[in-house]
Amino acid sequence: MTHAHTSQHAASHGSKDALFQGLVIFVLLAFLTAVEFFIAITNASVLLLSVAALLKVGMVVYYYMHIYKLLEEDDEHDHSSFAWKVATNRLGLWLFLLSDAFVFGGMFVARFNLLGFTRPHLNQELGLIVTSALLISSFFMNRGETQMALGDRKGFLISTSITFLLGLAFLLGVVFVEWPEAIHEGLTVDGSAAGGIFFLMTGMHAFHVLTGLIFLLVILRNGWLGLYSPERHWAVEAAAVYWHFVDVVWIFYYPALYLIGKAL
Amino acid sequence: MTQSSSTSTGNLNRALLFFLIGTLLGLALGVGLHTAISGGFNTTYWMDIPSWMLGLLLGTLGFFYGLLGYYGIVRGLVFQVVGTLAGILLVSAIRAALGLSFFDPAKFGFHEGAWVFGALVGAVAFLAGVGALTDWWKWAKGEATSDHHEDVPGWRKYFGVSLDHKVIGIQYTVTSLLLLSVGGLFALLFRVELAESGLQFLTVLTPDQTAALNLYNSLMSLHGIVMIISILLGIAGVINYLVPLLIGAADMAFPRLNAFSFWVAVPAAVILLGSLGLGGFDTGWTGYAPLATRAPIGIQMFYLGVWVAGWSSILGALNLIATVLRMRARGMTAFRMPILVWASVATSIISLTATQLIGLSFQMSMFERLFGMPFFNVAKGGNPILFQHLFWFYSHPAVYVFVLPGLGVISELLPVFARKPLFGYRWVALSSIGIALVGFLVWAHHMFTSGMNEYLRVPFMYSTLLVAVPTGVKFFSWVATLWKGKIEAPTPMLFVLGGIVVFLMGGLSGPPNATVSTDLHLHDTYFIVGHFHSTMFGGYVFPFFAAIYYWFPKATGKRLDETLGKWHFWLMTPSFLVLTLFMMRVGLLGMRRRIADYDPMLGFDPWHLAMTIAAFLIALSVVIFFYNMVKTLRSPVTETGNVWNSRSPEWQVPSPMPAHNYEKEFEVVGEPYDYGLPGSVYVKM
Repeated sequence: MTHAHTSQHAASHGSKDALFQGLVIFVLLAFLTAVEFFIAITNASVLLLSVAALLKVGMVVYYYMHIYKLLEEDDEHDHSSFAWKVATNRLGLWLFLLSDAFVFGGMFVARFNLLGFTRPHLNQELGLIVTSALLISSFFMNRGETQMALGDRKGFLISTSITFLLGLAFLLGVVFVEWPEAIHEGLTVDGSAAGGIFFLMTGMHAFHVLTGLIFLLVILRNGWLGLYSPERHWAVEAAAVYWHFVDVVWIFYYPALYLIGKAL
Repeated sequence: MTQSSSTSTGNLNRALLFFLIGTLLGLALGVGLHTAISGGFNTTYWMDIPSWMLGLLLGTLGFFYGLLGYYGIVRGLVFQVVGTLAGILLVSAIRAALGLSFFDPAKFGFHEGAWVFGALVGAVAFLAGVGALTDWWKWAKGEATSDHHEDVPGWRKYFGVSLDHKVIGIQYTVTSLLLLSVGGLFALLFRVELAESGLQFLTVLTPDQTAALNLYNSLMSLHGIVMIISILLGIAGVINYLVPLLIGAADMAFPRLNAFSFWVAVPAAVILLGSLGLGGFDTGWTGYAPLATRAPIGIQMFYLGVWVAGWSSILGALNLIATVLRMRARGMTAFRMPILVWASVATSIISLTATQLIGLSFQMSMFERLFGMPFFNVAKGGNPILFQHLFWFYSHPAVYVFVLPGLGVISELLPVFARKPLFGYRWVALSSIGIALVGFLVWAHHMFTSGMNEYLRVPFMYSTLLVAVPTGVKFFSWVATLWKGKIEAPTPMLFVLGGIVVFLMGGLSGPPNATVSTDLHLHDTYFIVGHFHSTMFGGYVFPFFAAIYYWFPKATGKRLDETLGKWHFWLMTPSFLVLTLFMMRVGLLGMRRRIADYDPMLGFDPWHLAMTIAAFLIALSVVIFFYNMVKTLRSPVTETGNVWNSRSPEWQVPSPMPAHNYEKEFEVVGEPYDYGLPGSVYVKM
């Protein structure tokens, strides 16, 4: 039973096709982000921006976070088996993400309650750069997880390290470049509700990026020590899914903060 | 046996002695600090609430140290105190380095940010100290941990981290009963003040009238939130203990997360009660902005305490859903699950998701105070109504979190004592889910008078009235189950029947509040208070006591005394009915809620006096219950079999429940509630 499950598990990742699929998804994500930016500077249609964001999220959730694994047939009854534990852990992780999504959803709703279809004046180039960093990091995260499943430990370490560096670049970009610039432009923490909600949304997201970076450090260290195998690397999958979730949040927050509505 | 009981008596005496010493030490320390800061001594310092809170903290610490030595919860509390101080000093040092003010004797010494950060660090330190994070830390380092942890035998295991869901269930339940007593004590204190118009009682406890009014507000606010946390822990106790047994699992899906969920609630309770030492808060448990932005620092401890306790609720719900989805016995399809399991899942759906929104609303209000983020400040483009939307998005469904497991207990116990199948099983099962889902769409009925957009009123009125449909399904099922049953009425059944009657009163007094036209009159009156207490007693308190009386023999092998149980019930029920009906009456006549004093010309004095007496009688009945528990626990094991002649699997094995539950997995082969049908079988052991 366990053996059959493992081979099925390997089969879903077990070819170079998985790496290629990751690349295709990334190209589509990048293209849609460019389209979003184009929509924003031409007609700023909220409908089109929402459609683009939903398409992006759908692709990340399905191909990078492989949500379909939740529904995979699982007739493992031995509660001490690895297969059963991974399937249960996966369910637990997704329930946690569902819960976490309600915080981000609450801030998203609060943003529209407070600002309606206006948005703070922000540096567009900077926004696009940090967004790209996070999106590219998701590509490398997916690549790292796939490489681990294929048994390529060195590749996993390289890809995950790139993910870490891009994530760090995003975090530093938001906190040490974007925030001072926004404050310099008059969007202060305590000056207006717009400033408050901008710092709350980006701050809470940055906090999640920070925790994601810590998880990445953990799997980098343990991967370096050779504690994961192609069959047993739940921690890698969990860190990857969490990392993509943080990306999914930003896919909504980027248009909500930078693109939708009239700049104040 | 004799030896161990004499040792524990010795421990208890030592614990009480240490409690006394700790309390006096804390009190003296507080008074000493006050004297040092203000540069002179004044005898009123002995009445300082902060000093008394410090005394209680050190006293509690001393009590547990005397009982256990440096173990479990003692380590946690020591870590929490040290962590809090470290956090406070860190923020103060940073503020000093930046040239900002970091010490203000008039405002509890340190800057508000230092207190908040300190309390947060303290909560994390508690978890590290008690040992709830140990295994996860090992996992992060790549070390394996064993699947099964054997607990130490005896009572010590209840005071440290245990991974056994039954131990955790009892930890939850006992903590819940403790907080119930604390919250009840607060109620008694302000109920005495309300017994007569004017201010007579709280002024005795405080140096001046303003302080008395502040104390009233804080007690009233804390009564609300302490009871809510108590209820959340109580249902978590019932769910944790029972659901794995009912579905035939060896434990919850994530035992370490389960222990974490319980232990995170303990520092949360400490922080919450700590608010009383930092000036309390005067907003009620709703903590509405913009009043909250002007409240004393105590409100930050209230916000933070609830926020931390929220994680207990969220992670417990996550665990429960995963457990039910993944660990049911063979043959237990969805429509063969016990109703209590359905109700627990429904409750958990709300806890898992909506809790985040009260967390967010409190966090935003905290940030408004700490960083000046003007979310709720109209002058800077904020919107105070936003707070109410976010707050009630959780806090209305929260009442379904409180009552659904209780209603599940009622449906679970009725067929056992009526010896008849549960009427309309499928409808009852789905009604829990129905209430939970409709519950997500009703929150703004708390805001009919808030000044929100008027077009929102009617849709929220109808969605609220819609809740009556699935709730009505439950009532029809209960009545039809009782119909022509062979009813027996031992104590658990009395509480079930009492719960049904009281919850009916809570239910019937609901629609007038849901209907906009009548709510405009009733809003913020004692009518709401009466309605709310009826729903909480009927939906939670009565079923919770029923569950304790019913499953006590399962957990301990000892049955609670019937005579004392009947005293408990027959004292509590009429007293509660007097309390709630009089609340509704004075409310209809215009008695405002949340106030310390009222106009004697309204003629409410005798009604309030009766309510206060009723409240004390309820307290007396609960004291009888506690006495019953202690007395029974000291008696030898007698009840090891199927005490209530139940079909449920947990009663088919010996009591108290063995450490790893069922020796062999059972299989579900029939319907759960086919009582009185010849030849029907539910589980094959």
